[in-house]
Amino acid sequence: MLYSVKFINPFSPSTTTKYMENTSNSPFQGPSDELLIQQFKDGSQSAFDQLYYRHLPKVFKRVRYVVPENDVEDVTQEIFIAALNSLSSFRGDAKFSTWLRTLTNYKVAEFYRRRTRKQEPLLSPLSDASAHTTGSSSKTMEERIYLQRALQDLPENYREIIMLRFAEDLQFNEIAELISQNLEATKSLFRRAIAALRTHLDK
Amino acid sequence: MDQINEQFNPQQDNQLAEFADQVMQGKLNRPASSLTDELLGLKETILRLSNGFPPNPLDDAAIKQMHVRLKARIRREEKAAKPSFWKKWFGRDVSPQLGLAFTILAVLIVVFVSTPSLTAPGSTTTGTASTPVNFIAAAVLAAVLFVVFWVTRRK
Repeated sequence: MLYSVKFINPFSPSTTTKYMENTSNSPFQGPSDELLIQQFKDGSQSAFDQLYYRHLPKVFKRVRYVVPENDVEDVTQEIFIAALNSLSSFRGDAKFSTWLRTLTNYKVAEFYRRRTRKQEPLLSPLSDASAHTTGSSSKTMEERIYLQRALQDLPENYREIIMLRFAEDLQFNEIAELISQNLEATKSLFRRAIAALRTHLDK
Repeated sequence: MDQINEQFNPQQDNQLAEFADQVMQGKLNRPASSLTDELLGLKETILRLSNGFPPNPLDDAAIKQMHVRLKARIRREEKAAKPSFWKKWFGRDVSPQLGLAFTILAVLIVVFVSTPSLTAPGSTTTGTASTPVNFIAAAVLAAVLFVVFWVTRRK
């Protein structure tokens, strides 16, 4: 697919005031995801740029929770390239954010499958922590690696609810709606997930 | 998982959820001390998680830089992606199967056109030299082309 490399700043007034339709999952005023997807299908490459700007922070944070620091940007790029290549076949059965979340989980799993095939360590060894001192202390990096290992070892439903609350900063009522559970069941699942994480961290 | 964790405990669920909300809002950075050991341990785990991954790792400048790098990668990958053999020969809109069919047809035409005619001088009988052999040659060629197509097809 040919892809325009013209830089579009979606925060510029011209783009943000063009459409005033708001979207519940957008942190700023702008066209809805659905409208942007339609524009992309109609040939507007800048529509994809806007989707990228809107969803990058959450995708990046989600990847950062489970992928070694060195590979976070690489995996994030792969997610958006995959999104770009398959967006034309997106039918809108689910929300774009849900579709992107599924794609993110798939790409993270693919990253680990690739590592397993190459027989590379699944997560960074703790010695890598000393190599990352920019913006984070070595101790913080070491702690992050511990947390990533523990998160990777959790059952999927436990890992998912922790990611939704912490990586995506969704409220419990939003999570409940997303996983089709009532609020009490969601909070209970969250507590059990945290308990399981604690058990893994104590190992 | 231990038994305590599996127990239905709505009060603890609510307390922990509320604590997580406050931590995410930056209102708390340590658990209160007057708690059960179980709840205290869970709250400490939440704090470890929150402290291990700072909430806003990307500012606007970082997002823009990542966008530029993404586009550069897309351009690189587009340049690196070689068109398949069939697309190179028959253009983007021709399917490999159609390309193969055209090729086989062309080979068959060449084989039959180039078959030497045997016309005896002064005779009305015209024949082709070793016609069965040419059929076999054409069939072999077609088979070879099909194998080449099968091996070089894009997966």
